Amino acid sequence: MLDLLYAGASLSFNLHALTLTTLGILGGLIIGVLPGLGPLMGIVLLLPLAFHLPPIPAMGMLIAIYIGGSAGGSISAILLRVPGTPLAAATLFDGFPMAQKGRAQDAVGLAMTSSAVGGLVGGLVLVFLSPLLAKFALRFAPPEYFAMAVLGVLTIALVSEGSALKGLLAGGLGLFLSMIGTDEFTNAYRFTLDSFRLSSGPHLVAVVVGLFALSEVFFQIQTGNLLARPNVQRLKVTFSALKILARHKVNLFRSSMIGTFFGAIPGAGGDVSAFISYATAKKLARAEEKYGEGAEGGVVATEAANNACCGGALIPTLSLGIPGDASTAVLMGALILLGFFPGPDLFRDHPDVAGGIFIAYLMGNAILLLLGTLLAPVFGSVLIVRKAWLLPAVLLLSTLGTYALQSSVFDLWVMLAFGLIGYIMRRAGYPLAPLIIGMILGSTMESNLRRSLLLSQDGLMIFVERPISALILLIDLVLLVAIVYSTVRSSRPSGAGKEVAALP
Amino acid sequence: MPGVRQHAVRTTEVAVFRRDKYGFEWAAWVMFAAIPAFIFWQAATSLEEQGAASGGPLENAALYPLVIASLMILVVIVQFVRILFRRTNPPQEEQQLDTPRALAVTVLFMLYLIGLPSIGFHILTPLLCAIMMRSLGLSWMRAVFGALVLWLVCSFVFEGLLNVVLPVGMFNLALFS
Repeated sequence: MLDLLYAGASLSFNLHALTLTTLGILGGLIIGVLPGLGPLMGIVLLLPLAFHLPPIPAMGMLIAIYIGGSAGGSISAILLRVPGTPLAAATLFDGFPMAQKGRAQDAVGLAMTSSAVGGLVGGLVLVFLSPLLAKFALRFAPPEYFAMAVLGVLTIALVSEGSALKGLLAGGLGLFLSMIGTDEFTNAYRFTLDSFRLSSGPHLVAVVVGLFALSEVFFQIQTGNLLARPNVQRLKVTFSALKILARHKVNLFRSSMIGTFFGAIPGAGGDVSAFISYATAKKLARAEEKYGEGAEGGVVATEAANNACCGGALIPTLSLGIPGDASTAVLMGALILLGFFPGPDLFRDHPDVAGGIFIAYLMGNAILLLLGTLLAPVFGSVLIVRKAWLLPAVLLLSTLGTYALQSSVFDLWVMLAFGLIGYIMRRAGYPLAPLIIGMILGSTMESNLRRSLLLSQDGLMIFVERPISALILLIDLVLLVAIVYSTVRSSRPSGAGKEVAALP
Repeated sequence: MPGVRQHAVRTTEVAVFRRDKYGFEWAAWVMFAAIPAFIFWQAATSLEEQGAASGGPLENAALYPLVIASLMILVVIVQFVRILFRRTNPPQEEQQLDTPRALAVTVLFMLYLIGLPSIGFHILTPLLCAIMMRSLGLSWMRAVFGALVLWLVCSFVFEGLLNVVLPVGMFNLALFS
């Protein structure tokens, strides 16, 4: 693993990469602070820009947005009691009471430092575990890759918010989108309706930008409050949070490990890990700490967990090519479009790229520690930007970014179409993440299914004759049973109200 | 009487809300149901004509799509039954939604896309931004100022720094390249 870091050092330790990672953290923090937007939106908006950059600085910038965006949501949770992102929802339990007691400065400082340290712990686990997992995955052949791709789609469908059935349908749409274009085995045109513009299928970035950014713009306009300007407490620059954090080192380490663990499970996500780590910290705390009334430990637990989760989520993404959530799915898509396919081959054939991504991730967290503390007053003041200024900027950035990919107005129509599809899906309670994961994993699934059948002398038996493939398919089967069970349960008259609003 | 009227208003509101709630459910269902239908249709027509709808895994480009379509049909049928018997619950909106404004922005953006290739980026973009900002509630002066700043900054970054050739339109307009 050290050889990976060594290989990636030359690509990561240069002015270009450092500047872009810093800008990524800044952009991520700003976009994370703004309620309704989040790390995913940041990645989506700057994704097209990344294709004009060298791979490692580009990935460094996108990963930095992921890190900064995951941390930034805590500022609005603490100052306004409105989490900037769902990841920061648990932070307001103690962050907001701290602010009400006149300790907003400490709460924001703690959130930033815990996020950075949690992220670093998650990063270290990523650096040590990913190469091991990738080494194991070198034993994989087409049947195992097929089973893993099925696992990725089923897991995300099962654990997405909303019903599992809806997740499955969204995943199916993603798989369908991956089929559009020229078939790699026969060169036949599939589902293109004789349009040469679709011969490579809809561009992933146009679909992602439409689904997430454009549908969000429509949603925000519909929700109103476009000219609202909240009252925000002023923050000052101080490093006192580091001293406070030192008092919570056990909580910090435990929460970081919880976050990393849940991040590594596809679909579990940062919000789940933040709530679990908060509940654990509360259970193990002394009564006089008074969780829920402004306990420092509550902020530490949630923020360390949700940022450590980023490192955890990158483990299956990079080593197996199975993204953990929508953000890592888009990061994986970016890596593929930059010419590197995540999985064991990435570690074997491009150790410099894998190492460069690790360094970018660790460097991003170190920069977060510094900038999150030094620029906290700036990020606090971002909250007063009105949506009426922000939404046209998001629309224009989405348009320009998507157009710049192939200088194609057709891509803009694709973006608009998926903006409307995303809007309908969200209004009907469908999760969007399975669609993207299905679209990304679809081609892996198909090519490995067909290769397996080609290799097989015995039809579908090849999938059960190989032990690893049989084991993964068994897990797939368990997940399928879980989906059927959850559907039957939620279909009972008393269970119909249990579905919740879908979030991307 | 006021009680009866209130009840009637509440009932109407609930009815409108229900129709709206399940309207999106049905719209999404139609979209998902259309996918397997489209796959089967294309497999029987376009892929068949290209000779890619039969044979072994190497020659059969319709094999995997048909497997996915068949599985989707099962899920679509279950979802149909769930919506029909109200066993699914779409997200509830807790606040008043400003749909006409969102629709107006969507139509505005569509007009922008239609005009973009012929009129060009540098004429249409400030117009789009100004009208959009105005329609979101900013005063005309702020909207025009904001639109100009946004257009110039974005043009500089994409055209000047990233060398993207933005649509020049019939007037062949480019600012930074």
